[in-house]
Formats: sequence, structure tokens, C-alpha cells
Amino acid sequence: MTPEVLHAIRTRRVVRHMTAEPIDRDQLIEVLKAARWAPNAGNRRLHRFVVIQRPDTVRLVRMVAPGMFQHPAAIVVICIDWRRVAQYGMPRQNTGVYVDVGTALQTMLLAAHALELGAGPVTSFSKAAVGVLLNLPAQLSPEVLVCLGHPAAGGPPPMRPRERITWQSLTDWEAFPDP
Amino acid sequence: MLVLSEDEALELLAFLVTAARTQVDEAPEYAPLRLLTAAHRLSAAILARVSPATRQVLSESLAQIGAVETPSADPDSYRAKLDALCAALARHLGAHFGRSGGR
Repeated sequence: MTPEVLHAIRTRRVVRHMTAEPIDRDQLIEVLKAARWAPNAGNRRLHRFVVIQRPDTVRLVRMVAPGMFQHPAAIVVICIDWRRVAQYGMPRQNTGVYVDVGTALQTMLLAAHALELGAGPVTSFSKAAVGVLLNLPAQLSPEVLVCLGHPAAGGPPPMRPRERITWQSLTDWEAFPDP
Repeated sequence: MLVLSEDEALELLAFLVTAARTQVDEAPEYAPLRLLTAAHRLSAAILARVSPATRQVLSESLAQIGAVETPSADPDSYRAKLDALCAALARHLGAHFGRSGGR
């Protein structure tokens, strides 16, 4: 891993305040290309990315997403394709498909950061409403909205954690002591 | 006086209804956050069309609580801020609706 990658990981932030400037289609494609390289269990690719750039659709989706503080120029909806999950014989309660939503999400966030775009994930939204607004086929469940736009000054500060977070506070080494 | 257009009212209504749904599955600490976000959005929508006194209380008091602040990090401070907001609002209600008498 190069120092540039570590720097990108450390300096990425959730951007909750964006300008009204549209995103170039080429930049959007770069974000999607990056997500194609996200680690994915068994290289099965059980997800679909639905990209929204039309301002009227972005506005409608924002209306049913209470967790969306920003006014994004574009949204990528990461969906799980449950028909493909079933085709692999995987039970619905398999959590691996959600892990792969996370790897795609983080890869998109880092790619956007590398392109000097602002990005922020939103999971607080009505899946039912987004499904209707986007005419999603029944086998696709929208899992996270990736908001993309040009960062603007003056947004809300990051959410404060309950206690100070360090890598040590998140980590244990080897096995836990015998009970 | 109409202070909210149909579009604005619909947008706020959609926020409230979908927030009710998402809150069923989310951390309880998000509940006050969502209500305050709705208050912020309502305030933003009506600010230009309300009386100067209402405008002042909305722009000054609501701003005391951060847009993504939750009770989790500092519950006592959060309660105190909400109490201050409620008190400021109550004072304005009394003045706006012309409370008479009282004890």
C-alpha cells in the first residue's frame, strides 16, 4: 500500500454539505469503475449500482431519505440482487452480501475523495419508497445511498462519538483470556 | 397566512413519514435528531414569511443544536440545549399568542 492510499484513507470524511454544481459523467464513471474492484466474496458480484443524476429524481429520493443532510449532485444506490443470491443457493440470512455492500461503499467513498469529490453514505431512507421512485425490480433491494457532489464550506461538524476512538480502543490481540 | 407551499409541505410530510419508518430499525438516539431535522426544515421553509419575532427565535434558538448532534456524546449537555430551546420557544409562544393573566 502506498503512502498516498493511507493518506486518502485518513483524510476522507463524510461530506454533508455540497454545492449545486453537477458532477462530470467521467468522474462518476471513475467512482463506479473503482467499485468494480472492491473485494467481493467469491467474486460473485451480487449487487447492482443504480446511478441517479437527474435533479428531479435526486430531489425525490432525498425527500424519502431522512438521513440525507446534503443536497447531492448524484446518488449511487447500492442494491443487493436477491435473485442472483438465490441462484447461488445462498440463504437470505447470509450476511456476506451485506459485507460486500460495505466494501463497494467504502471503495466508492475513497474513489470520490481521490477525485476531490465529496461523498457520504445514507442508510436512513425508506427502501419501499426508493423502490417505487426508481421502479426497482422486485429482486433488487436498495441498501445504501452514496451521495456525491462537490464539497461546500460550512457544513455540519462530524457526529461526535460517545468516547474517544483510537485504533487500540477497537482492537484486541490474539485470543481473549480464559473465562 | 399561508407560510408553506404545497411542495414544501409535501416534502416535509415525506420526511416525517419515512423517518417514522426508518426509526423503527435505527438507534433510539436518532429519534430527537430526526425531529429536530424536521424542525430545521420547517423553519427554513417558513423563515422568509413569518413575523420578525418568530424569525428571530427560529434563527437563533434552533441554531444552538448542531444539525447532526445526538444525545449520545454528551446526554446532559444535549438535554440542557433542548430545555433551553423549549424555554425560548415557550417564551415566544406566550408573546405570539398573547397569553393573558397567568400566575
